[in-house]
Amino acid sequence: MAKKITIHPVTRIEGHLTIEVEVDNGKVVDAWSSGTMARGFEAMLTGKDPRDAPYVTSRFCGVCYSVHQLASARALDAAFGAKVPWGGNLIRNLVMGAEYIYDHVLHFYQLSALDYIDIMAVAEYKGKDKDLLAVKDKIVNLVKEKDTYPLTPRYKPDDFSVKDPDIVTSAVSHYIKALKMHAKARNMGAIWGGRTPHYQNIVVGGVTSYPDINQWARFRTMLDEQKKFVEEVYIPDVLAFGTGPLWPLATMGVGGGHYNYLSYGDFPKDPAWKDTVFPAGTIVGLNPANIKVEPVNTEKITESVKYAWYKENKPVHPYDGEQVFNLDKKEAYTFVKAPRYDGKPMEVGPLARMLVAKNPTLIDLVKKGAKPGAVARHASRAIETKLMVDACYNWLDQLLAEMTKPGFKIHDTEHWNPPESGMGAGFHEAPRGALGHWIKIKNKKIANYQAVVPSTWNASPRCEKGVRGQYEESLIGAPVPDPENPNNVVRIIRSFDPCLACAIHIIDPKTNEIRKFLIE
Amino acid sequence: MKEDDVVSKRLLDELEVHGISRRDFIKYCATTAAILGLSEMEFTTKVAEALEKPTSKKQPVVWLEGLACAGCTISLSQVLNPPVSSIILDKISLRYHMTIMAAAGEVAEAARREAVKEGGYILVVEGAIPSANDRFWMHGGRPGREMVEEAAKNAMAVLAVGACSAYGGIPRACPAKGISVSDALKRAGINKPVINISTCPVHPDHLAGTLLYVLVTGKLPELDSKGRPAMYFGEVSMHDNCRRRAHFDAGEFLKDWNDPKQKNWCLLEKGCKGPMSYIDCTVRRWNDGISFCLDCGGLCQACGEPIFYDKVSPLYMADDETSKKIFAMRKTGQSKENS
Repeated sequence: MAKKITIHPVTRIEGHLTIEVEVDNGKVVDAWSSGTMARGFEAMLTGKDPRDAPYVTSRFCGVCYSVHQLASARALDAAFGAKVPWGGNLIRNLVMGAEYIYDHVLHFYQLSALDYIDIMAVAEYKGKDKDLLAVKDKIVNLVKEKDTYPLTPRYKPDDFSVKDPDIVTSAVSHYIKALKMHAKARNMGAIWGGRTPHYQNIVVGGVTSYPDINQWARFRTMLDEQKKFVEEVYIPDVLAFGTGPLWPLATMGVGGGHYNYLSYGDFPKDPAWKDTVFPAGTIVGLNPANIKVEPVNTEKITESVKYAWYKENKPVHPYDGEQVFNLDKKEAYTFVKAPRYDGKPMEVGPLARMLVAKNPTLIDLVKKGAKPGAVARHASRAIETKLMVDACYNWLDQLLAEMTKPGFKIHDTEHWNPPESGMGAGFHEAPRGALGHWIKIKNKKIANYQAVVPSTWNASPRCEKGVRGQYEESLIGAPVPDPENPNNVVRIIRSFDPCLACAIHIIDPKTNEIRKFLIE
Repeated sequence: MKEDDVVSKRLLDELEVHGISRRDFIKYCATTAAILGLSEMEFTTKVAEALEKPTSKKQPVVWLEGLACAGCTISLSQVLNPPVSSIILDKISLRYHMTIMAAAGEVAEAARREAVKEGGYILVVEGAIPSANDRFWMHGGRPGREMVEEAAKNAMAVLAVGACSAYGGIPRACPAKGISVSDALKRAGINKPVINISTCPVHPDHLAGTLLYVLVTGKLPELDSKGRPAMYFGEVSMHDNCRRRAHFDAGEFLKDWNDPKQKNWCLLEKGCKGPMSYIDCTVRRWNDGISFCLDCGGLCQACGEPIFYDKVSPLYMADDETSKKIFAMRKTGQSKENS
């Protein structure tokens, strides 16, 4: 008989997520993804000075900080008619490049690694490496001191958990090293971003940080250190795990889902945006042997609220989103809405980007038998971190050439003040995937604000047609031999790098109406 | 040697829950004992004690996230000296932290309940508490608010980290109507010392320093009138400590971010809220001193003050009363607000 398992909270993610699965014969047969915290940023933004939006929306999330700042600034650029000078875009690219490197490294080591290793195997390390012996001492001492939090408690390691003491000990030492490395990556971004999390320099029209050559040299030197870590530690670790002990999970394609993918494309390599680091495209019903990529048409985006705690409405385009809470809606189970592209649920994020790009490294892994799923997501994340490191060097070269020319510009000062009215959309490929912000301006104030963010796509509930969201679908068929220790469920969910604070949005141009509703 | 001679059945059952099988445990003990040069028996007993009830001298910490963005957690991981790994593993016993802990689901919740039962921990709260309706933050089918109240009752002290938990921050302006931890505890009739370590996100130095102060002295640091550690917040405004101050006095205000000549001029006309901000950012800076808001041409938005965010919006305008007063003071030659 099917058994229902509820995992609350799903930890080592951003935000408040509950996953419910129905398990029959050791396999997931149905799943529900539920976001249980909401603040209501967009509703609050109505009536505010539009220039507040990049600053405020950055606070959607402090893990993937500033991705909303950029998407919001781009929506404002469009609505204000601002043209960002190439210097401004180069600095936007570079600070977001730093954010990418940090975010992906954090995700692999701090948020995911503990799902795949049996950390207690460290005690059995018999090698002679000084650093690894220090790691072993540390863990053994924690046990001796009678306190192994927060590494325990945990789910009981399963057949897929890596128990080889050498691999585990090295992974734990990299876990500790990664903490330092991603802190340094954030410091790198702060050179122009001012501070992290939440940069201060991205505004409508460009950036506020006029660069000097010392900052440039500092950024480049810090990038060298990041490059070394990414190439010599992060990528080898992901490959060693993915093609080694986790290969069975990869070939089983655990965590596949709908096999529909969306990437808006992002990170211009030239002033005309002819070439971007990530190409735009959609894939529907992936055939790995013959990947068909179609162009993106953002007019095809709609959001359904059938199973979310909002007043019933037909699926509408984000520009026309007008929702009111209904916390007592019977069939609803989440604050996350259900975005669809041409009526279809889509996966966004590193795997989507690398498939749309037909990235040779990923395609090679697929040809060898890895099916798109949890392991392929980790691999894609590592692959694109390297692409981002390389792109940062290119942008630095261009920036040096630009900033030493007379008349160098970082900001469109002509379009700093809000227009009487206007509307605009801003798109960005955030580390977690395709991100869009939509704004309408009336009387120089925000009349309507809406964001459809990566984790809304991925953590989406069922739509009005009853079709599951991507997290939900990706869980179907996942092996759960032991209901007390649903390792594969959390592995799959964490492979998406969930960000629930981002995913949950409330929009209502009439804030009073929300209050009225809540009092009732 | 029979296992049960040294390891109670209860422990073995518990270990199963914690992910260690009976066989694994004995094997693990044997190997580790050999490493440590202890007899197998001796070590197994020690490990058994360790896992039955943590009795290390490390200060337990319970970290809860409410209407939050996890930015303050990322700030915690920004602490490089001492390294954050050493804080988490060597200096504190981090019993519950959703973004960091290995456990998930019921295994995680059991660890929280156990820690709360034992008491004596430092409670860190990141994020505001919804006051409009409990449904804005549910935790395992219960209002998250109740979890904070329960945890506060048995805590030795409460650290409200970040603008949201210190004063409500941005969520205060949202439909969820976020309120500060101290207000939430007052409403529940819970009397506990709360230290507000405001700013959005919390400054890594302020967080680590306050934590270390409590660990070293066993006491809470002196607080300013807004409940913040006086060693970081207090009497002197950002404006009075600003390195751009001379340009303010000279009437030089940045108008164009493209002009290198104006790069270091005063940002007040762009909407800088430095005069309302009583914090040490200008001298401490951020990210290991690499930069801070004003050094990237960005503005101070007074994110460490109770007025943040609703009362400092619009962020990029200078037509509020304080700014007007400051501009007028400059014209009359009065150099300091307090003079």
